[in-house]
Amino acid sequence: MGNGTEEDYNFVFKVVLIGESGVGKTNLLSRFTRNEFSHDSRTTIGVEFSTRTVMLGTAAVKAQIWDTAGLERYRAITSAYYRGAVGALLVFDLTKHQTYAVVERWLKELYDHAEATIVVMLVGNKSDLSQAREVPTEEARMFAENNGLLFLETSALDSTNVELAFETVLKEIFAKVSKQRQNSIRTNAITLGSAQAGQEPGPGEKRACC
Amino acid sequence: LRGAPGAAGSWGRPVGPLARRGCCSAPGTPEVPLTRERYPVRRLPFSTVSKQDLAAFERIVPGGVVTDPEALQAPNVDWLRTLRGCSKVLLRPRTSEEVSHILRHCHERNLAVNPQGGNTGMVGGSVPVFDEIILSTARMNRVLSFHSVSGILVCQAGCVLEELSRYVEERDFIMPLDLGAKGSCHIGGNVATNAGGLRFLRYGSLHGTVLGLEVVLADGTVLDCLTSLRKDNTGYDLKQLFIGSEGTLGIITTVSILCPPKPRAVNVAFLGCPGFAEVLQTFSTCKGMLGEILSAFEFMDAVCMQLVGRHLHLASPVQESPFYVLIETSGSNAGHDAEKLGHFLEHALGSGLVTDGTMATDQRKVKMLWALRERITEALSRDGYVYKYDLSLPVERLYDIVTDLRARLGPHAKHVVGYGHLGDGNLHLNVTAEAFSPSLLAALEPHVYEWTAGQQGSVSAEHGVGFRKRDVLGYSKPPGALQLMQQLKALLDPKGILNPYKTLPSQA
Repeated sequence: MGNGTEEDYNFVFKVVLIGESGVGKTNLLSRFTRNEFSHDSRTTIGVEFSTRTVMLGTAAVKAQIWDTAGLERYRAITSAYYRGAVGALLVFDLTKHQTYAVVERWLKELYDHAEATIVVMLVGNKSDLSQAREVPTEEARMFAENNGLLFLETSALDSTNVELAFETVLKEIFAKVSKQRQNSIRTNAITLGSAQAGQEPGPGEKRACC
Repeated sequence: LRGAPGAAGSWGRPVGPLARRGCCSAPGTPEVPLTRERYPVRRLPFSTVSKQDLAAFERIVPGGVVTDPEALQAPNVDWLRTLRGCSKVLLRPRTSEEVSHILRHCHERNLAVNPQGGNTGMVGGSVPVFDEIILSTARMNRVLSFHSVSGILVCQAGCVLEELSRYVEERDFIMPLDLGAKGSCHIGGNVATNAGGLRFLRYGSLHGTVLGLEVVLADGTVLDCLTSLRKDNTGYDLKQLFIGSEGTLGIITTVSILCPPKPRAVNVAFLGCPGFAEVLQTFSTCKGMLGEILSAFEFMDAVCMQLVGRHLHLASPVQESPFYVLIETSGSNAGHDAEKLGHFLEHALGSGLVTDGTMATDQRKVKMLWALRERITEALSRDGYVYKYDLSLPVERLYDIVTDLRARLGPHAKHVVGYGHLGDGNLHLNVTAEAFSPSLLAALEPHVYEWTAGQQGSVSAEHGVGFRKRDVLGYSKPPGALQLMQQLKALLDPKGILNPYKTLPSQA
């Protein structure tokens, strides 16, 4: 949480919250960034954003969470909203099957506007209302696996899995970023090797480098 | 929350033009104290209105002479309900010619005149102090012309700002100024007070956007400087004298003003900042990244938001922060502007200048965010008696006086708040109390003015001087300037009948 002092962090990761209106995206945001839950079902004004810094091992990661109303398509802002996002929480309300039924459409919009490498977690929120459940856990988990998504069920109300959901996404992003860094180093090595190979036209040596 | 009986402005009741009318007629509503009784002011030797004068006015403006005491209650009281005059006559001319005849008669008879538009001023410039004749521009509300190539609007002084906005917006233009009081204020009053408002950052002062004025001078002479030229380098630019003169040099009857094209894309972001230093940095970053589309940058402190929540039940869309910033962009391409704003927000969030925020994506929500800023004045009026200071200061020192006053006043003040137009270096400093208190006033003045002068600031950024601030001009104007102002007044209004007791220091 920004408390007025200059924070030290190693990474800034932009994560977007998407999903139908009313599934609880804003309460997930406020629970994670300032451990608050509001029972007032005030619809998000347009786009909201907040930050929180978390430690992943020895790395300080500032999570920049963006939250949208989830209402009709805001064509004017979609590309700006998604640009630069490295993670997404695709939220549905497990007590309202309709919010799960449109997950595929949200996923399509996400991939239309965001980088293909974005880390996506499917989130079934309102797990505290288990007696009103309309989306079986296993069905959602299967959908997530089939589409290469992470999956968790949460309750912003009683805090179940909220921290875990964001942390899991951030860790996955961090792992991808770290791997990309290593690949970058290896690419340099390959380039260097190719240059060296150029100086030694021996066929066997070249094959070994490749 | 109720103050002692007789205390002005300290009632927990809606305050504003419409609410004021309701309040005045409601049984049991306390009367605003007479200005002449509360302030050490002496009536100058003007004539009083006679039956012959009334007959003359009836001939000049048939049906436009108001003498009913009931109807005169509202025009005698200022918007903040802290000043009350004793005018017995209100005139409602329709044309410049009628204004001219009225003034010629008053000049001959040595009758004092108080021009009045929407009466939304903060410094008592538009209400009588004694029995000045109120000259209302309410009936002078015609648009004379609009040219869609240049965007130049020519209209009478009594046009209500919001109606002009509607008129030009239908033609894909906007007014170059926007005020919280736009539903009531008149364009003539805006020009007479050089009103600033929320579009100053982008479109600048009325000194630049007003192209011409028609003004009736004290003796009834009609000065036709109603040009629509943007460049005219022939001698003195006389209209500039009347902009901000508060009706003391002449009565503005017609305005020619340059309207910008209406932006096709408007974005509004509302952000929480951890400190005032971060507000300043956010402003610099904002200018750097959004410079060509930035149209407003407003800040307010935490107490402003609390009061808006408490008195008007407007919920803050972001978490509690020490400061809040409202940023508006206006451009021609929604996609481009959103891209820039999104990029700016990422940077501001990432660097810790901003901790929390929201961005409105449709017009209704834009209005919701703006209401948080525009209705602070209204919320303050419901908090009790309000001492208002409208200061220009170097932006780095803008908030220092708020912290200084909180320490200085302690529990004697209910709230000390600061908000305003950061881009213009304009702080609205407001202090609320349960009731008017001479000792609290003595703690505030001249301390606030001395503090402001010490920072080379101005004791009035945009509200003007009016009646309330006339004796503090010396804190922001050198003696030579004051002397020249007196000389200009004597030249243009030798009998001093135009809006007496206003603008100039009282030793005149």
